Amino acid sequence: MKQLAPLTKLVFTVAVSIWAMLLTSLPGLGLLAVAQVVTLAVCGLLGRTYKGILSLTGFAVVLILVQYALGSELEAAIAGGLRMIDMATVFVILLATTKMQSLTTALVSQCRVPQEYAFMFTTALRFIPDFLAESKAVREAQACRGYTGKGGIVRRFTSYLALVGPLVLRAVSRSETMALSLELRGFGAGRRSFSTDVGLKFRDYCTLLGMIALTAGFTAGRIVYGW
Amino acid sequence: MKAISFENFSYAYPKSGVVLEKLCFEVEQGSFTAIVGPSGAGKTTLCLAAAGVVPHYFGGRTGGTVVVQGIQTMDSTMGELAKDVALVLEDYESQLVAMTVEDEVAFGLENAGVDRKLIPQMVRETLQLVGLSGREQCEVGGLSGGQKQRLALAGALVTKPDILILDEPASALDPAGTEELYSLLGKLNEQGMTILVVEHDIAQVLPYIDQLVLLMEGRIAVAGQPEAALRKMSEESLFQEVIPPLQELRFLLEKHGCRFGAWRCEADAVRELSAVLQEASEVSRSA
Amino acid sequence: MLEMTGVSYHYQPGKPAVDNVSLCIRAGEFAAIAGRNGSGKTTLTRLVMSLIKPANGQIVLNGVNTSSQSPGDIARHVGYVFQNPDSQIFRDTVASEVAYGPEQLGFSAPEIASSVAEALEKTGLTALADVYPRSLSRGQKQRVTIASALAMKPDILILDEPTSGQDAKEKESLLRILTELNEQGKTIILVTHDMDILARYAKRVVVMASGAKVFDGPVAELFAQGNDIRKWGLRAPAIMNISRKLSKYGVFPALTATELSQQIAERVQRGRM
Repeated sequence: MKQLAPLTKLVFTVAVSIWAMLLTSLPGLGLLAVAQVVTLAVCGLLGRTYKGILSLTGFAVVLILVQYALGSELEAAIAGGLRMIDMATVFVILLATTKMQSLTTALVSQCRVPQEYAFMFTTALRFIPDFLAESKAVREAQACRGYTGKGGIVRRFTSYLALVGPLVLRAVSRSETMALSLELRGFGAGRRSFSTDVGLKFRDYCTLLGMIALTAGFTAGRIVYGW
Repeated sequence: MKAISFENFSYAYPKSGVVLEKLCFEVEQGSFTAIVGPSGAGKTTLCLAAAGVVPHYFGGRTGGTVVVQGIQTMDSTMGELAKDVALVLEDYESQLVAMTVEDEVAFGLENAGVDRKLIPQMVRETLQLVGLSGREQCEVGGLSGGQKQRLALAGALVTKPDILILDEPASALDPAGTEELYSLLGKLNEQGMTILVVEHDIAQVLPYIDQLVLLMEGRIAVAGQPEAALRKMSEESLFQEVIPPLQELRFLLEKHGCRFGAWRCEADAVRELSAVLQEASEVSRSA
Repeated sequence: MLEMTGVSYHYQPGKPAVDNVSLCIRAGEFAAIAGRNGSGKTTLTRLVMSLIKPANGQIVLNGVNTSSQSPGDIARHVGYVFQNPDSQIFRDTVASEVAYGPEQLGFSAPEIASSVAEALEKTGLTALADVYPRSLSRGQKQRVTIASALAMKPDILILDEPTSGQDAKEKESLLRILTELNEQGKTIILVTHDMDILARYAKRVVVMASGAKVFDGPVAELFAQGNDIRKWGLRAPAIMNISRKLSKYGVFPALTATELSQQIAERVQRGRM
């Protein structure tokens, strides 16, 4: 799975979503979910991702109960829940098996997404550790001025400004500097090259063909057998 | 052709007062210039002007011209200028865009459309230059302040610019780190790179610079050879606090009638002072 | 007044950030903590403020063990000024920003007003009381954070690299304020790697290297060690170095160019006579 090109995996994500919409039977949807979890296990990624899968399952259960309570038939409600698991799990697979850099390269070079939008994701991710460190620094600085975060709900809410204020101001200044820096380094000035090789190989073409075949199969199954 | 030439350049940010006023000075090819001055004097704006950021990026009102490598910045674009000029901003952390060290350094090369096959080697060489060898896979978020500053420098150096501008590059470094940084810049300068640096601690840059510029309230108060510039600052009491103790000592002793050569570093001073004191003690002993 | 005994702390197992440090700072001292980036000097101060708790050893402040106290409790006695003023400034005017600390500590309204006014006066910010803090220069912002700490009326002031990013004039003015505060009885602990500042203003210096305390004594004694201090990442100020190297001509260690020039001029004059 990891060895497939990012583009193939993106197509896979779309394909699974289509399949989840096509299939209506509970066994069909359930099998799709199980197949994805098995894929994760085979790639050795279940250890990292099981918490995410479990919370998705939790949400699905809530979704099912809500739909049932609002009057849907039990079977339809469960189908809805399974559909959600199917479509969300495939994103987990995508993100767990693909480096962010490769993903943006594929989006820009093969999917014609404008550079600026694709880079929004990587730069946002890049700043998460900095943001966490900054947030800790602000909490410590304000703690040394007596900030406790205790008290009634209203009091806690208003006193939170002492933590949020410096962070927001810093985030704004940081994004301004970053935008300037991107232009200074020639971003968007001309045709760019890419360090990562995201070209499609033989196995990618095979996988793509396989997905087309499956889609055709599911469509036929839905029409003929009511899957 | 001068590397950078400010010809009567004035600038005001939109909705703000005049920040730079009728600047006239030049940076020769292959020279090393240091810009000093009090906070708010306009040093950062000067750096931004040399890279074409001002006025392209912010708008605002300009007067006069800035010519970089023969091109008028106002007739060019930031992308064009980026080929010759690299600017490392004071807020180096916000300049780092990628997740890993190698992606960060490669960024400038990718923007320039460099062939994929050449990139890893260039990245490796540049990391070695700044002392971050072997850290290609390290996450940017996990680096220390000093390492991030060196990474920002690597990102600027990898495209082999003709001109390198740095705005307070040593702010996150301890004395040992600052020495290493300026030693590296000195080496790059020897290899032909034109360097312009904004710095508060003149003593650190003095061994390397050809030109010293004092900017005060948007105007150039002093510009020229470091020796002459410092002397003028001392005589006219211009921002004297920034004169390094070594030069301060020399100017004080000159008032007592002693004559010395230019002191670029402590060793120079010790040598000449030893000679003077030796002579004085010999004379008084023989008397 | 502030006593640390056998204090250790590590961020990661096996790599001590602070290794068995014992230290005693008395009331009214002006001490500096120096060392490379990563030597443990900031960690030491964070332990004092109880932002982190020591793995071993204890910290006693004014006779009370701080292990059960929160940073807010300690803030009544120790004011901490962080290196980056942007990490804490969030209000619209300098005066209201400085008032935050006293408000959090529960001062009464008149107490808040008077301590803010006093803090602004001591840091020379009275004229800027209604200015939007974010528009100030780095040096002025740093004075705002110092005033914010002072307004809580601590006995001890700890400052982490307060002069970084400032021009020479701002640095001088900041150190003058700290010297005045010290003369008025406040204990000052300055974490810095600016050797010039350290030589001219601190009376005592503690050097940290790889988490351990490697030197603790008068500033003059530190620089008398000569080039040994380089292994700790320190450099003696130029004037001090030069005067040491000229000692064989009878020159005494000097801290400022003025002092040294006077010594040399005297000898030269004597030679001429």
